[in-house]
Amino acid sequence: MRRHRLRSPARVSTCCLAVAALLLVGAVIPLHRQSVSPEGSGVEDRVLLLPPPAALRAAALGYRGMMADLVWLLTIQYIGGHLATDRRLPELRRLVETVVALDPQFVEAYTLGALFLSYTGRDYASAIALLERGARENPTRWEPAHDLARTYYIELKDYPKALHWFQVTDRLPGRPHYVPRFIARLYAQTGQVETALELWRAMRESATSDWVREIADREIAKLEGQGTAPPPKGHR
Amino acid sequence: MSVWAIAVNTFREAVRDRILYSILAFALLLIGASVFLAGLSLGQESRIVKDLGLAASSLFGAFIAIFLGIGLVFKEIERRTLYAIIAKPIHRYQFLLGKYLGLVLTLLVTVGVMALLVLGLARLVDGHWSPALLLAAGSDFLALMIVTAAALLFSTFSTPTLSALFTLAIFVIGRLSGDIRLFAEQFAGPGVRQAVFALYLVVPDLARFQIGSQVIHGLPLAPAEIARAAGYGAAYVGMLLFLAIAIFQFRDFK
Repeated sequence: MRRHRLRSPARVSTCCLAVAALLLVGAVIPLHRQSVSPEGSGVEDRVLLLPPPAALRAAALGYRGMMADLVWLLTIQYIGGHLATDRRLPELRRLVETVVALDPQFVEAYTLGALFLSYTGRDYASAIALLERGARENPTRWEPAHDLARTYYIELKDYPKALHWFQVTDRLPGRPHYVPRFIARLYAQTGQVETALELWRAMRESATSDWVREIADREIAKLEGQGTAPPPKGHR
Repeated sequence: MSVWAIAVNTFREAVRDRILYSILAFALLLIGASVFLAGLSLGQESRIVKDLGLAASSLFGAFIAIFLGIGLVFKEIERRTLYAIIAKPIHRYQFLLGKYLGLVLTLLVTVGVMALLVLGLARLVDGHWSPALLLAAGSDFLALMIVTAAALLFSTFSTPTLSALFTLAIFVIGRLSGDIRLFAEQFAGPGVRQAVFALYLVVPDLARFQIGSQVIHGLPLAPAEIARAAGYGAAYVGMLLFLAIAIFQFRDFK
């Protein structure tokens, strides 16, 4: 009778639950904790081990938008980690190129990627290449063309190219209201600082993250401290 | 009338199946979790909620089609309920069509629930309704109808395990058919290229039912292309059902 009670299903089940709980607390969690890197969340490893876009496209089973989102979330973690430490982003270009290879219509990946490449990585060539690809893939969206104009205008001081891209932006639906005014100023060769300030203020207003706002604030402060603008070079 | 009676009965049986609720619970959990993930996306909340939501609805819909579809005929044989049914004045094709319609009805309800949740979450994030999301989910549903028909076909002559493997393979190949053709064109010799092209034409092209990306990016949809995809889907489902009926007619249940 006593033996039967010991082997009752409820008792066996309770014993098994207790052993499982013991294993969880005594072995699984401590062993898992040992494998957690003291240096961080493992984002760097995941970035370095990220397969090439062609492999990800196949692995996505056609759910490429979702895969692009997941790589984008990894990109955000990567940017966040480096903004908080060394402010260097050597893998950013590869990450953003993976995102847009999975979803060429992900316009914000081009524009935000180029912004961080320019203002954190100081890699203007990559930013321009990324934005040009964005403008090619999305010929009806004004954002890549506008950001190309901004980069040529503010950072590279290449006014003919800035004028060209502002003119492209001007032809696209939904473009910001100030674009025709900037084109006029570029023709009149005046108002470089005002234009740059206006561009950054517009970006600050439309920014969806504190990181972008921080970049805009920094550049606004720089321009406000600068006072008058230098005369444009290479301008017709 | 007999077809509808079997369909309703299959639907009732399916909604009592625990597998359905397990898969649906996972899907709803993933769709709901997309809101939290979206919060980490640097202003891409709307996009992530819609992308993850539509993908979860399509993927888990396919799981439901596969895991419920593979047992449609096999369970009836195993429980010997099929003998009672075919002894009645019901044609075998009516039995199969009823089973198919019942599972499609189950899918319609489950995918509908998931699509409505995605629509609601998108409304929460965007502040406005995006009814085009229902169109994208509807288009994905057509692809699921093909997967269900494939599961039913395999279920008429194979065990549930093998049917699940075959249907899963059809789903994967169908989702990647465009890529397979592209790889063959780029890397294979002329003979292999032709063979792959022939295979490409025969396997279901499930990628043509994906319009989620256009909907999410606000790109124009081509009604003619959607109509062509719907026609292709109907023809493919018809072909699979005729094949299933042909095999089922020859099966000996004595």
